[in-house]
Amino acid sequence: MDISLFFQQLLNGLSIGSVYAIFALGYTLVYSILGIINLAHGAIFTLGAYFTYALMGGTFGFNGLLANLTLPLQLPFAISLIIGSSLAGLVGVAMERVAFLPLRRQGSDPLLTVVSSLGVAVVIVNLIQYLVGAESYTYPANTFGNLPPAINFGTVEKPIPIRTVQILIFVVSMVIVAILTYFINRTKYGKAMQAIAEDATTASLLGINSDRFIVLTFFISSFLAGLAGTLVASSVSIAGPYFGIAFGLRGLAVIVLGGLGSIPGAVLGGLLIGLVEAFVPAEYSGYKDAVAFGILFIMLLVRPQGLLGRRFVQKV
Amino acid sequence: MNTAFIRTTALLPIFALFFTACSSSTVSTNPANNNATPQTSTVIPIGIAVAQTSNVALLGQEQVAGAKIAEKYFNDQGGINGTPIKLVFQDTAGDEAGTINAFQALINKDKVVGIVGPTLSQQAFSANPIAERAKIPVLAPSNTAKGIPEIGDYIARVSAPVSVVAPNSIKAALKINPNIKKVAVFFAQNDAFSKSETEIFQQTVKEQNLELVTVQKFQTSDTDFQSQATNAINLKPDLVIISGLAADGGNLVRQLRELGYKGLIVGGNGLNTSNIFPVCKALCDGVLIAQAYSPEHPGEINTKFRQAYLDQFKKEPPQFSAQAFAAVQVYVEALKSLDQKSKVNKLELPALRTELNKQLLTGKYNTPLGEIAFTPIGEIVQKDFYVAQIKMEADGSKGKFTFLK
Repeated sequence: MDISLFFQQLLNGLSIGSVYAIFALGYTLVYSILGIINLAHGAIFTLGAYFTYALMGGTFGFNGLLANLTLPLQLPFAISLIIGSSLAGLVGVAMERVAFLPLRRQGSDPLLTVVSSLGVAVVIVNLIQYLVGAESYTYPANTFGNLPPAINFGTVEKPIPIRTVQILIFVVSMVIVAILTYFINRTKYGKAMQAIAEDATTASLLGINSDRFIVLTFFISSFLAGLAGTLVASSVSIAGPYFGIAFGLRGLAVIVLGGLGSIPGAVLGGLLIGLVEAFVPAEYSGYKDAVAFGILFIMLLVRPQGLLGRRFVQKV
Repeated sequence: MNTAFIRTTALLPIFALFFTACSSSTVSTNPANNNATPQTSTVIPIGIAVAQTSNVALLGQEQVAGAKIAEKYFNDQGGINGTPIKLVFQDTAGDEAGTINAFQALINKDKVVGIVGPTLSQQAFSANPIAERAKIPVLAPSNTAKGIPEIGDYIARVSAPVSVVAPNSIKAALKINPNIKKVAVFFAQNDAFSKSETEIFQQTVKEQNLELVTVQKFQTSDTDFQSQATNAINLKPDLVIISGLAADGGNLVRQLRELGYKGLIVGGNGLNTSNIFPVCKALCDGVLIAQAYSPEHPGEINTKFRQAYLDQFKKEPPQFSAQAFAAVQVYVEALKSLDQKSKVNKLELPALRTELNKQLLTGKYNTPLGEIAFTPIGEIVQKDFYVAQIKMEADGSKGKFTFLK
């Protein structure tokens, strides 16, 4: 492998890995608070990408119920990204109220909630196709203003072109990780979330309204999913309603690798899986999922708590 | 929490499987999904088994549109000597299992006289043998891989094979730039059609005495092609040839251009749809694609088909819609001829299917694709082929296929 290709793959890996990281953070937050894996996370990822597309003034195709619909506004990418991800966050909150809360009230097995989340995912994916068809959509060409499509990190003779969008994705993801880390560790709300994650009963005895924080957690988690969806779509377009499924499964591998419930673990796991995938030779690209899940299984055998997770302590 | 976690993790592979199953066998909410029609003498049911869901729905949606225009057009003209036809849609989704289910439903439940479908050659190789055993005619509207009509006596196609169509685009590229020497080829290795198409492309490259500098593989489900694109660009090709589908092909074109490739690009039949415009936007400009259909074909029936499509969708009809229309037309005209010999309403279903299959192979049809006929094994005989070049507006919002003279 020559140096230009190596450097390129490295940046590719970091770029996609950073998206995995913010996506997996969403999984991790919900897991910390409720002890469940939300399998609709991938569908919310897809939704976020569609919301942003619509807010930027994108037109939908001629299939589906909303054929040829265009919103009467054309917001810049950065604003669309934030509003679109917030809308995805609200969908996450609605999902929690409809599909998770009733089960929690009945004190049912966490496994039922997982199945319920899977149902939500199927509904969302099919709803998207019903409304806007199966076409691919791409954000407008001027999404990133007048930046060049690629930046050359090499010389004229030995170019190492890196797509600008890859660099932007990495920067945005890392900024989001920094903000979230600050929020969790340094603010009152973040500390309350940590308390609930530690022990919900004790937290509520201390006057923390756990229900409110569960809603907040779902909002942040789905916001992160929607944001990740938009970032990926800005690089490779929205490949239709099934766009987020592979990411949803990949995210699971990331959190198991990093350690369930661990925020730095999700970031580390995301970057690692992204890098490993980037160095899978191109002709074996079909095995990228297999590589991610191979790592997951090995991790479960060797170190079930993940790289940065805590050991499970059986409370008696 | 501990046990719940372990149980959840243990179930992950099952969820993953369930999810793929769900995503490929969801009940289509597409309005094209009709309820089964009982076999009565008041309508003649023809089955349409194409992908209305999954990532292949991009192409399937175009086929549904073409078939529906044909249904209305021929019924307005009196159907089969007074008896209207009724299209019965079954969603195949994007995989083989979905296609087999759709075929079985059409054959046994909906009792159709013939089937138009499936969308991909990959699906045809697994589902067509079922129709062959049930002795029901299948007309492929878009399967262009090698060996489709050879699957059996009941299998024919209105989509010209890739071996006839594909070489035209390379010749057109050489006309535009006679200095082409080095060629890089990309193909989707998980798609039967792309594999057979790339063989034809690579053979044509050799026949034209060009140098094949690299063959790069990818998957139709891939979105990131930066490593393949970089590998190829480093070898400084003058021409890039891509065999894939719309979403992956469009992304590959985009990433090649963004990473600095400036030469000509030839796309295969999978990229032959306006659905690639939204993927690579302005960067799609200039891609050459060989065509089995031109909206500008002067025949009367094409003029009417084109107008109906324009009225409904406000854009030129794509090849996949025209081929689906032609497939329905072949059934209608074959049924009409058969009806004049022996009333189709009076025939038992198995006999009707067999007679219809014999009849359709003998006819000549004047379709939107131009004049077509079939060889005894069911291979299409088509006269006119074209090469189109994609022209995008500068902002990438709209594009069209312009036909090279």
